Amino acid sequence: MQGNFPWRRPLVQGWDEQVAEVEHTLADGREPDYATVKSLANQQLGMREQLRIERLAKKLSKAASPSNGFAEVTIGLLGNRTLSFLPDPLAAAGLARGLQVRSVEAPYDSVASFAYSPADCFGRSLDAVLVVLDESAFASKRPMLDQAAEDEAIADAENLATALAAAAQEKSGGRAIIATLPGPMQVSSAELATPGTSARFRHRVNLMLAEGAMKGQWILWDQAALAHRVGLDTWLDPVRYHAAKIPFSVDVCPLAADNIAAVLAAMKGKAARGLILDLDNTLWGGVIGDDGLAGIRLGQNSPEGEAYVAFQDFVLSLRDRGVVLAVCSKNTDEIAREPFRSHGEMVIKEDHVAVFQANWNDKATNIKSIAETLSLGLESFAFIDDNAAERERVRQELPLVSTIEIGDDPSFYIERIAQSGLFDHLPLNNEDISRAASYGGRAAAAQIRAKIGNYDDYLTSLEMRMMIDPFDDTGRSRITQLINKSNQFNLTTRRYGEEDVRKMEGDPDLLAWQVRLEDKFAQHGMIGVVIVRKQEAEWTIDTWLQSCRVLERGVEQCVMNMLFEAAAQAGVETIHAEYIPTDRNGMVSDFYTRLGFKVTSSNEDGRVEYACDVPDYEPHKTFIEVGLAS
Amino acid sequence: MSNQETILAKVSEVIRDLFDEYDGPITMETTADDVPQWDSLSHVRLMVMIEMELGVHFSTSEMQSFKNLGDLVNAAAKQKG
Repeated sequence: MQGNFPWRRPLVQGWDEQVAEVEHTLADGREPDYATVKSLANQQLGMREQLRIERLAKKLSKAASPSNGFAEVTIGLLGNRTLSFLPDPLAAAGLARGLQVRSVEAPYDSVASFAYSPADCFGRSLDAVLVVLDESAFASKRPMLDQAAEDEAIADAENLATALAAAAQEKSGGRAIIATLPGPMQVSSAELATPGTSARFRHRVNLMLAEGAMKGQWILWDQAALAHRVGLDTWLDPVRYHAAKIPFSVDVCPLAADNIAAVLAAMKGKAARGLILDLDNTLWGGVIGDDGLAGIRLGQNSPEGEAYVAFQDFVLSLRDRGVVLAVCSKNTDEIAREPFRSHGEMVIKEDHVAVFQANWNDKATNIKSIAETLSLGLESFAFIDDNAAERERVRQELPLVSTIEIGDDPSFYIERIAQSGLFDHLPLNNEDISRAASYGGRAAAAQIRAKIGNYDDYLTSLEMRMMIDPFDDTGRSRITQLINKSNQFNLTTRRYGEEDVRKMEGDPDLLAWQVRLEDKFAQHGMIGVVIVRKQEAEWTIDTWLQSCRVLERGVEQCVMNMLFEAAAQAGVETIHAEYIPTDRNGMVSDFYTRLGFKVTSSNEDGRVEYACDVPDYEPHKTFIEVGLAS
Repeated sequence: MSNQETILAKVSEVIRDLFDEYDGPITMETTADDVPQWDSLSHVRLMVMIEMELGVHFSTSEMQSFKNLGDLVNAAAKQKG
């Protein structure tokens, strides 16, 4: 269970070295970088890494620099079982959420004296007192079927909770955070309907605690919900319970600590307030620019389509809690808005989106603009994108943005976001829920500032490999599909059927390439098609298209370099090209000039012809290793 | 290496991870008294880490009967068959 943080980033390469560097910085009496420490803690840690972060948190706490960026939280731990396993994991979990959590443990079994006597087992001011009690602390055993005895026990439990909350306030100046009770192992299905059972008592205590939290008497830590999620078999460790009197298994301590840290983060205003969403394969299946309104998968009784609808419902439920929504997508603005306006199954509408950022800029740049437009700090945002490379890029450039490891299966999007606890909150008030609306459904696009970060480093880190092969029978159906589906990154939008494509295979008058790409995250498969007509020393690019899945990677520069290399070897003098505008391919209107061609003629219908002499071509810088088939 | 030796090597690694200030020897005869950081609290955590590392599970009575690391290693070896 210790490594069970699926919403966190997988452990990065070089994690050990990076932690060592932070340790050195601390040992030298210097202040480590806040974002670096936070993101090192916020990864899928194994047992050893968990230990190491716990130690780092201790050292950081000893160095105690108020300006290190972490929000300080000091809490008391009060329980009728030992909570000694919590302080270290709490400190570690805190770092991952931007908190420096210090825990003060009450001596064993001081619950009653803290609640009812003048004695103060903490003897200092605290932000909160975390109270984790089990059933026996709330009431002694009740006779079976004795409803009156149960009612009395519930009243006692409420008195205890009320007294604890008052003591926390008066003695420590903090709030009480009271844990709900996980259910017991049940004997029957009738437990809830049988007065005197543990299940029924705990259920009623939890409702009582919920009512008190609603009235603002205390804050809830919903231990029961977490135990439920993990499963009681994992949550409880009977062997260790009897050996060490710990309320839950030691292996779930890091997870429990993280869950508690989420509540503390909400208390300290460190929870996320905005959700930034990618579109293609995040809000719907498919690529709107290529598949069109009728082609994207959303609803329509397909399992995948329904998963996207459910996800959109969930996103909207976050907005109902006051979370501001923004869109960040590599798309043409007008095309990206189409589903919001015209797709019948779209749950999220333009009105729900405060900032709508659809363009061809780098996502980190767009996210920065969104944050500026909404006047929120980067740390207030969670970012959702099915594409691992985009997530990596945003993590590198904007480590303060919470990039959730959402995966690429829409059926898991909801649980990853929910589990992350990023949107944890205290009981809502009217002000909270009107917050999202106050940003307006402007669906406005933010002004883009200059590009940030070193993009070349990012591209290098992707470890991209490209394979260029002539058309062949294995690629035929995908080639045909790309030729007939690609709309946006398509210079001439010439459509050819499967039979046409078959005839091109091995045609000596043609250079027909299929281009595949992979990187350290994914096999992208075939992402480009180039068809060139050869006429002795003059070649003409008939078709040049690319998938929008891998933009801004230097793919076109790389393929163009290869094309000119092939042309030079064949003794070609000039390569000709043309751009035929459609209502979809505006994004490539300056493609050939960007790549070094000169305009030779512009026609009235918008068609532009270009040429580039082979000796004049200057190869572009690329970050892709190429394998060229003969 | 015998089964016991392999297990002891793995257990030693866990002990060094958890008790990072200890650099003394770790043998079949080692007990909690030999390692200053090894108190009742960290003992529980150590047991959990060893169980996870070795893929075994010790029963309540087994845990109670361990007098030194050798007992633990032997119990684990028995489970691993």
